[in-house]
Formats: sequence, structure tokens, C-alpha cells
Amino acid sequence: MSHLHAVLLGVPWTLAVMLAALAIGAVLAVPLAAARRSRVAPLRWAARLAIDVLRGIPPIVWLFIIFFGLGDKVLRLGPFQAAVLGLGLISAGYLAEIYRGGLTAVHKGQWEAASALGMGRADAMTRVIGPQAFRVALPGATTYAIGLLKDSSVVSTIGVTDIMARASQDARSTSSGLTPFLLAALVYIVLSGPLAWLSRTMDAKLRARVAR
Amino acid sequence: MTLTTGTSVVSLRGIRKEFGDHVAVRDVSLEVPAGEVVAIIGPSGSGKSTLLRCINLLERPEAGRIEVLGQAVEPQGGVSAAELAKLRRGVGMVFQSFNLFPHLTVLRNISLPQERVLGRSRKEADARSLQLLERVGLADKGASYPSRCSGGQQQRVAIARALALDPQVMLFDEPTSALDPELGLEVLAVMRELAADGMTMVVVTHEIQFAADVADRVVVMADGAIIEQGPPSVVLTAPTVERTKKFLRAVMDR
Ligand SMILES: Nc1ncnc2c1ncn2[C@@H]1O[C@H](COP(=O)(O)OP(=O)(O)OP(=O)(O)O)[C@@H](O)[C@H]1O
Ligand SMILES: [Mg+2]
Repeated sequence: MSHLHAVLLGVPWTLAVMLAALAIGAVLAVPLAAARRSRVAPLRWAARLAIDVLRGIPPIVWLFIIFFGLGDKVLRLGPFQAAVLGLGLISAGYLAEIYRGGLTAVHKGQWEAASALGMGRADAMTRVIGPQAFRVALPGATTYAIGLLKDSSVVSTIGVTDIMARASQDARSTSSGLTPFLLAALVYIVLSGPLAWLSRTMDAKLRARVAR
Repeated sequence: MTLTTGTSVVSLRGIRKEFGDHVAVRDVSLEVPAGEVVAIIGPSGSGKSTLLRCINLLERPEAGRIEVLGQAVEPQGGVSAAELAKLRRGVGMVFQSFNLFPHLTVLRNISLPQERVLGRSRKEADARSLQLLERVGLADKGASYPSRCSGGQQQRVAIARALALDPQVMLFDEPTSALDPELGLEVLAVMRELAADGMTMVVVTHEIQFAADVADRVVVMADGAIIEQGPPSVVLTAPTVERTKKFLRAVMDR
């Protein structure tokens, strides 16, 4: 039972890292996705390069660069801040592509109808295109969020006391390898359950509404 | 039917539209006086849709001058957002594929543009929307989503949505070609009423019977140019241009 207690101590940190990184990613992905679809070619290329770099480097390498590399001199960050920054940037890369997929899936006729009705670009985006793109992007975004929940375990390597770090500590201090890590596995599954459920119900709801 | 330039609702001069090195519309001029119904017919790929879409600048022509309700633009010189908004304010458009907003109910489809474009309150907008839904025979459909409506119903909603902005001219791009014939008839019936009420209309269509009954003038396009035009009684029954005869024969045989 004390094994479980030890592992559960990491839950708030795992959730905090994941939610904060997701929030940063969700916001930064908006300009990235917009730039990716810009009419200005150099802006498109820059966005594409940024996205490829963000996604192409393994998370653990990103975290080491930010925490041990930059964190050493350039900007002083605690493990938690470095973890959120690193995973947030990576999330922005992935979510930008998910947003873009959603936007691309909206039929061109929707833009045309909104324009022909005299709606401006901002109105068309927020009232017509965005809501439809959201519906398309939602399953991908939730899948990414569940992935992030699991992959956030990498932050244990820079000293964030998340689920994984707590399990490792417990394994070391009690010299019992299997139980703490099995419990960690169980906790990750339990945490991702509600996310998966939320995704499925929201998707079904939206689908029922706009099915065509 | 008077053809004085001064009363034209739509005036196109020397419109030219290219896609890459393909010329879709070559130096077309067209005047549409208030209250006139113009039917544009012609073979596939002749540039009918492109010409229509130049009127509200969904396509930006490479050359030419567009005047709508007295407001002139020369698109190749650049068009400001304000000019664009003003031009589109007076022009309603109905598409072949309806293009209703699938995430909104029928009522919201019609009300939202009124609120955003004309600044009407939700209450005013909804009242107007209901009035128009009644006019197109869909008073009971307001709460439905477009996916729950037949194609003919969706197209009538699209017409109501455009009319809700009180346009001075309505553009139709093959409004019935995506529909089964019976469903097409209910859309055509609405368009006939609209024409009878004096709406200025430019209709790209393959419905020769509709053109014969409703249009004041038939314009025939081929290869990006107007090859013949005149009253339907002349153009549709005694065309003078060989290309028109060939096209009409092909349409009749279908
Ligand atoms: N966005 C586009 N990009 C490239 N070419 C285009 C585009 N839109 C139209 N075209 C081309 O321009 C020409 C005219 O097209 P348009 O759609 O205006 O013809 P149409 O007379 O409306 O034909 P249809 O009866 O099939 O609708 C065609 O050759 C078409 O392939
Ligand atoms: Mg066409």
C-alpha cells in the first residue's frame, strides 16, 4: 500500500506538467498553424521548419538542451519550468499540424459562402471555419493529449517528481522493482481513461450534429 | 427591358480571368439592368462560373472593370477590405453545392450573417429569418441541422440566407444541378417567384426550360467568351451562331 502512496505522490506533478504543456502548446499552435497556411511563402517555410524541428528532436534531448544546456547560463529554470517549456514547445508543433489538418478538412465552399455573404476573414474563421475545424481536430488533439500524459514521464530525467520519478525512487529505496512500476503503469492507465472517454463522447455528440 | 448603362445593377467591362496560362474568361462585357433576369448557358468549361464569381470578386480578374450598384472596382489595382465588403453587401450568391454551414441550425445559418454583416440583433435577425423561411416554404425547418434537410430544402435555405441580407442582385451558379429533378423543381419555383417580384438575377443554368420561361435575356458562352445573346425566344429557338445550335442540340438530347 505504501508503494501506491509513493507513486500517487507524483500524480499532481504529472498532471500539472501535462496540462501546462498542453495549454502552452494549444495557444502557440494557433499562430504556427496560421503561418503554415499563410499566403506569404517565407512565412509558410519558416513555420514548416519550426514545426519539423520541434517534432523532429526527441523530447528527452529537448529537455536536456533546455534544462542542462540553456538552464545552466542563459535562462535559469527549475525542472518543472523547463519541463513545461520543452513539452509545451513540442506540443505546439504537433497541435499546429492537427489544427492545420482540421482547417484543411473544411470544404473550400464554406469560405466562399462566408465571403459571398460579406463576412470578414475574422468572422468567417471564428464563426464558420473554426468550429468545423475544431470538430475535425478534436480526436487527433485528444489522442495527442493522451500520448503527452504518458510521454511526460520523460520529465523525471530532469528531476521533476512526477509519477515515474516517484516510482523509481520507491523502487530504489525499497529494492522492489516490479511493484512500483506496475503501479505506475496502472496509474497512467487510470488517468488516461477519462480523457479517452471525454474524447469519444464529445466526438459522438459533434458528429451527430453535423453528420453529412 | 431597357439597356441604359445608368440603371445597370451590374456592369462588367472587358473582364479577363486567367488560371495559370489558361484563359477562363476573355474580355467579357455584360450589363445587367435593374429587374432583369439573365440566364448564362454554355458548354462545360466555357467560363460561366468564373464570370459569375468575378461579379462578387470570389475570383479576381486580371483585367477589366466591375461596377456593382454604382460602385466601381478595378481588381487588378487591388481592392480594400472595405470596398470588398461594400460590393458584396448588395450581391447575394447561391452555389451549386448549397454551402450551408453544417454546424449551425437552419435558423442560425440565416441569422448569423445578418448579425455579423448588418449588425442586426439576434431577435431582429431571427424574425427576418423566419419570414424568409416561410417564403421558401420551410417555416417548420428552423431548428433542424442542414444534414437533416433534403438537397432541395438546403438550397432553399441557402436562397433565404442570401435574401436575408437584402441584396439588390442575386447570383445563382447552377442551383439545381446537384439535385434530383423533383427537388430541383421546388428550387426553381422559389426562383420564379423571386423573378416575378422583380429581383435582378444572373443565373448560370443548364435548365433550358427555366431560361425560356423566366429569363429576359439569354447569354451563351463558349471558350471564355460571349458568343451570342438576346431574348430567349430568339436565342433558344432560332440561334444564329453555329456553336449555340450545337450546344442546344446536345442539351435537348440529354
Ligand atoms: N480555380 C481554378 N483553377 C484552375 N482552373 C480553373 C479554376 N476554376 C476554373 N478553372 C478552369 O477555367 C475554365 C472555366 O471554368 P468554369 O468553372 O468557369 O466553367 P463553367 O462554364 O462554369 O463549366 P461547368 O458548366 O462545368 O460548371 C475551365 O477550363 C476550368 O477548368
Ligand atoms: Mg460552372
